Amino acid sequence: MDSTLALQLTIQGILLGGIYGLIALGLSLIFGVMGVINFAHGQMMVMAMYVSYWIFVLLGLDPYLSLVAVAAVIFVLGYLIQSTVVNRILDYPEAMQVLPLVSMGLILENLALLLWGPDYRSPQTALGLETLWVGAVMIDVSRLIAFVLAILITILIFIFLKKTNIGKSIRAASDNRTGAILVGINVDRIYNISFALGAATTAAAGVLLLPLMPLSPYLGHDFTLTAFIVVILGGMGNLLGALVGGLILGVAESVSTLFLPATLKHAVSFSILIIIMLFRPQGLLGGKK
Amino acid sequence: MDQPKNKGMDRRTFIKTSGMIGLGVAASSFGVPRLLRAAPPAIKIGSVQPATGPLSVIGVGQRRGNQLAVDYINAKGGIKSMDGAKLELVLGDSESKPEVGRSEADRLIKAGVKVMTGPFQSGVALAISTLCEQRQVPFIMDVAALDSITAKGYKYTFRVFITVTGLLNGAIKYLKMVTDMKGLMPKRAVVTNTGDAFGKGMSGGFIKFMEKSGLPIEIVDRVEYPLGIHDLSAEVARIKAAKPDILFPVSRPGDGIILTRELYKQRVELMGIYGPGSPGWYEPDVIKDLDKLIYYVMVNVPWINPASQVYKDANEAFQKAHNRYLDTNSSYAYTGVLVIADVLERAASTDPEKILAAARETNFKDHPVVGGAIQFDEKGDNTGALTALIQVQPDADLLKRVKIVAPAEFAQSDKIIFPAPQLWER
Repeated sequence: MDSTLALQLTIQGILLGGIYGLIALGLSLIFGVMGVINFAHGQMMVMAMYVSYWIFVLLGLDPYLSLVAVAAVIFVLGYLIQSTVVNRILDYPEAMQVLPLVSMGLILENLALLLWGPDYRSPQTALGLETLWVGAVMIDVSRLIAFVLAILITILIFIFLKKTNIGKSIRAASDNRTGAILVGINVDRIYNISFALGAATTAAAGVLLLPLMPLSPYLGHDFTLTAFIVVILGGMGNLLGALVGGLILGVAESVSTLFLPATLKHAVSFSILIIIMLFRPQGLLGGKK
Repeated sequence: MDQPKNKGMDRRTFIKTSGMIGLGVAASSFGVPRLLRAAPPAIKIGSVQPATGPLSVIGVGQRRGNQLAVDYINAKGGIKSMDGAKLELVLGDSESKPEVGRSEADRLIKAGVKVMTGPFQSGVALAISTLCEQRQVPFIMDVAALDSITAKGYKYTFRVFITVTGLLNGAIKYLKMVTDMKGLMPKRAVVTNTGDAFGKGMSGGFIKFMEKSGLPIEIVDRVEYPLGIHDLSAEVARIKAAKPDILFPVSRPGDGIILTRELYKQRVELMGIYGPGSPGWYEPDVIKDLDKLIYYVMVNVPWINPASQVYKDANEAFQKAHNRYLDTNSSYAYTGVLVIADVLERAASTDPEKILAAARETNFKDHPVVGGAIQFDEKGDNTGALTALIQVQPDADLLKRVKIVAPAEFAQSDKIIFPAPQLWER
């Protein structure tokens, strides 16, 4: 076997895995706090990508520079979705929680289609084609930046949850909703913020992906699924698990190209998922609920 | 050529189209005096296209191409041999599915269409051709490529588009032409393709044709990836490891961008990229986004003939109505209706037998696509259908970068650049 190729594929897998992790982090956060699976997750990410795309095209601002602004826009979107829709369905059976969020995803997807058409858009960003070479192995700069920022954002979220008052309230509401209400936490508001925070992290992931893949309204669906697999792999609601799951999935998809036709990529990710589910149904890092 | 539009006609189309696909079609502001005498009844033409579903972008374009030709014929005075009878386009939507396509065609035939056209997808075409044979309705397809559609010996089926065999023959022919002309032969090649029916079929066919062609190019790897993939870094790493001289991609819209950028980043040394026949390399957005990186890509494809007056006029009207250029598929949709009008003109009747007789005698030269006069052989295939070899070449005007380089009589540029400079040396 060609060892350079194997090394190349592993590195690419790790770098992509970091972004998978960041996408899944938002989903995991939302699930961990409210027990709701956000089926509009990928579509929210696509919205972020479009916002970032238009900032780039109209104002010439590179996606990395608009990251915070875009995350803020999607934070507001997430806040609104939680306060208008999700807060009302929290006490419903899980099967009934699925539909409003799937519909939300469909609405966002078709909104993108309506506003911007079905064409693939992929602007040439400043660092989009930059590469670093270590011997014969290539490191894609935009992928590296995405990976580093993804890790950084994950750490920031951790610190936010551990150290700040809002973060502590979020953890309290997550641990025991009634208890949180009793000690005077405005749980609805905390939920809004949690959902918005989850949305903002996925928005950041979207912005980091923009230099890497063509944007189209249909992109979201696949990433909802990817995020879902990652979260289940790592353990539902476990934030570190999201990162670990992302890395595993990224490397598995990439390295499997060595042995299998790439058409079987999805089969590889789902096989891993099934194996993990068989031996550790709570996910790799998930505790018992 | 002036193309005034009939106001009533256009509004009707507007309501119909927007009702069916939820999209507004710009209402025209042209006015035309109504006929004072009682006009002969309009001749209904059925068009089933994938107006919704995954192929909706194309399907909507196909409908617009059909409608543009109908408006054009009507503005010219309809079918003259039938007292200036107007054409009326009756729309069906296959939803990109064969079984729906068939039931839609059935509905249109019950509504009294005299000729059917469409349907873009070969699967839908197979279903409709059988139905048309049973109901004795001539079916003049604008786009659909699978050979088997016309291989069943049906009397009522005709095809304006090229067959898959024709497409593959073109791919080999032009590859030989380029390598002969340059005295250069790539030795190792990689074929990439999407994992859908089209990608598998087309690339499988191409590999077979390559083996038969006698070209000394060895296909060292075939890299297949799922339709709608977002990341091809692993695939390109595998391509690089195979050390090809040339790449033969069978792609879908979107793949061309990811593939080319990744080839650049991973510094894959190639003499060139040669597409046997697939989208992803010539759409205006792709040309704009990839800029220099897409230069020198060659694709063998049924193509528009931008030098023809028919194309120029049709394109102008299309731009005015839809603010998009008339692409190759829509041009074929346009051509399909022009051929139908020509057949009806010579048949001077809507009797199916007379239409068939006239269709067999077709010799239609005044069309907007690359190819000879449209004539149908005994199977109903267009013997004049040709592919063009296009190459993306530097030009200040984005829309002029895609140039026909062969056949010579249609060529827009007399030079072919091969081997291409490496992607990172541009």
